[in-house]
Amino acid sequence: MNLEKVIFGFFIVLAMTLNFGFFLGDIDNPSHHHVYELYAAITVSLIATVLKFGDRTHVGAILLSTSLAADLQLITAAILWAALSGKMDEPSLTTYIVSLSGGALMANFVSVILLISETISQRR
Amino acid sequence: MNSILFLILRRLRRPLILIIVSFAISVIGLSLMPGIDGAGQPWQMSIFEAFYVISYTATTIGFGELPYPFSQAQRLWMTFCIYFTVIPWVYAIGRIITLLQDPGLRLAMVTERFTNSVRSLQEPFYILCSYGESASLLAKALDEKDIRVVVIESQQERINELELSNTRYIIPNLCGDAKLPENLVRAGVHHPLCCGVVTLTDNDEVNLTVAVAVKLMNPSLPVLARAERDDIAANMASFGTDHIINPYTLFGDQLAMRVHALGTYILHEWLTDTPGDKLPPPEYPPLGRWVICGYGRFGKSVVKNLAREHISTTIIEAAPELTGCDNCIIGSGTEAKTLLEADINNAVGIVAGTDNDINNLSIVMTAFELNPKLFVVIRKNKHHNHALFKQFNADITMQPTDIIAHECLAHMISPLLAQFLELVRNQTNTWANQLISQLVSVVGESVPETWAVTINQKNAPAVTELLNNGTSVSLENLTQDPLNREQRLSLVPLMLSRNNQPLLVPDTSTKLMAGDCILFCGRPSAKSALPSLLNNTKILTYMIDGVEIPNSIVWRWFKNIKTAKKIKSVESKF
Repeated sequence: MNLEKVIFGFFIVLAMTLNFGFFLGDIDNPSHHHVYELYAAITVSLIATVLKFGDRTHVGAILLSTSLAADLQLITAAILWAALSGKMDEPSLTTYIVSLSGGALMANFVSVILLISETISQRR
Repeated sequence: MNSILFLILRRLRRPLILIIVSFAISVIGLSLMPGIDGAGQPWQMSIFEAFYVISYTATTIGFGELPYPFSQAQRLWMTFCIYFTVIPWVYAIGRIITLLQDPGLRLAMVTERFTNSVRSLQEPFYILCSYGESASLLAKALDEKDIRVVVIESQQERINELELSNTRYIIPNLCGDAKLPENLVRAGVHHPLCCGVVTLTDNDEVNLTVAVAVKLMNPSLPVLARAERDDIAANMASFGTDHIINPYTLFGDQLAMRVHALGTYILHEWLTDTPGDKLPPPEYPPLGRWVICGYGRFGKSVVKNLAREHISTTIIEAAPELTGCDNCIIGSGTEAKTLLEADINNAVGIVAGTDNDINNLSIVMTAFELNPKLFVVIRKNKHHNHALFKQFNADITMQPTDIIAHECLAHMISPLLAQFLELVRNQTNTWANQLISQLVSVVGESVPETWAVTINQKNAPAVTELLNNGTSVSLENLTQDPLNREQRLSLVPLMLSRNNQPLLVPDTSTKLMAGDCILFCGRPSAKSALPSLLNNTKILTYMIDGVEIPNSIVWRWFKNIKTAKKIKSVESKF
């Protein structure tokens, strides 16, 4: 067992699960989506991105790009939240944020699928 | 660039993760700490506010306690955060700075930058596989003549010298071994605009390796190589090295040329020098008996060429069995005894041609004391002894570096120039002198520009168009000043090559034909004015018959009617 692989897999899967946790619930109900969950999702997603740095293989490049896509959407959601809270009604703001996190969830999902497919094709 | 970016990212993985983790913990802690707002109500920071506070604290900017003064709990947490976030931040910056100074990374960056700058070259260029004395002269002359060069050099000091030198174009350079094929590829051996490789190191083996490598990688690319040993030269010739340059043979050749045709020699020097320079008037070597000190490669070449001009020689050589000299006086020539033995008092000239500069100077100084009327030819081996040689001021100072640079230039400026110089050698001295006086009257005393023009659709569309329309264009039209057709541009057509048949100094009334190649020599202003004649049909027509073609369709139509009427009225008169 390789500790590096454990940490790598852990962060990628955790990024997806946190993202999914935030996404789960009514899209326009602010009480279903907690700000700390989004915060945790961003943090873990950033760590996952940095962990993917420096892998020169093709799969490594795709993994990095999915992570970058997820980061982009999650950070956009956070900026929207910080900039627009109190300025517009909560249900529609929540809708924006949750739909962005939904996009990030897709990217994280692809990332996990890639991880799984690479693991399966590993012949050791 | 790709690989470098990933290298940096990989090395920065740990500091980046540390920063993310420390920020994450600090931000979340700060947003959880209970605080009091301006109205005294319990208040907690939002995540965004906490992130803002932590960001300016971690980067040691410190705006203070925003938006309300902190509570005790928040201050406690901030104290922890200050130490917790600043340390990873400083660590990351330290890592970035160390990384930028890493020699491996810097080498990778320099190589990458070189490869990119070569790849992005949009003009024809030459590759110089060294930046020694002759190559630096060559690079300077090519730069003056608007030809781009790329340099590979193994010594960092010479690269520094190149970077400090004052050139018009940026010369991409790589500090590396030219013998390695990958470096040649980086320098653009496969680049479609590369027009040749020049290898002038003082090591014959290196030159041979480069020549072989280039001929294998891109057989159509011309290679100019310096070779001093005959076996290496023969080896180079065997696989098709285009020009093999031996400075000693060349010097012997030029000395002979000076003896029997000074005009030809001046012409040769003039056309291959850096534009704008002024040439000192050359000395005429006297006829009579010469004393040659040193019978190495240089001495042998001098003796052979002087013998061809029917000049008798006396040879002084320190090691006759090594150099294969049968009939010579043994000694170094630095002491008066040997020189007297060679009957220096009755000789007209002396050649100090050993491979030791100090010995050469000693020889000529001793000889000069014995016979002050001597014509002195001295060989200079090391460039740093320049001051000593300048002090002595010999009649001819042989500098291998200059000779090599001139010879290379003749081949690199244009194949036509090399062909022209070859043909000039077969002409008489009077012919050469006449040409020189003609050139001086047109272009002045300083070294002119030399360039070639091909009459075809790509390089001279205006001429081709007129020729296709049946209008005859003569060489004279190309020498007219576009600003004033009564005046002449300061240029002289040196040679016209038609179907590979060269015509030396063609008459200006010569009619041009498609496919002609013309070698011009003239002032830089003329060189920059010529393209407007070659490319612009309107200007060229004006040059030929002094008539301006109207630009617009309406005017042209109007003019056609007018000319038709004129013809009619002329016809009706008869």
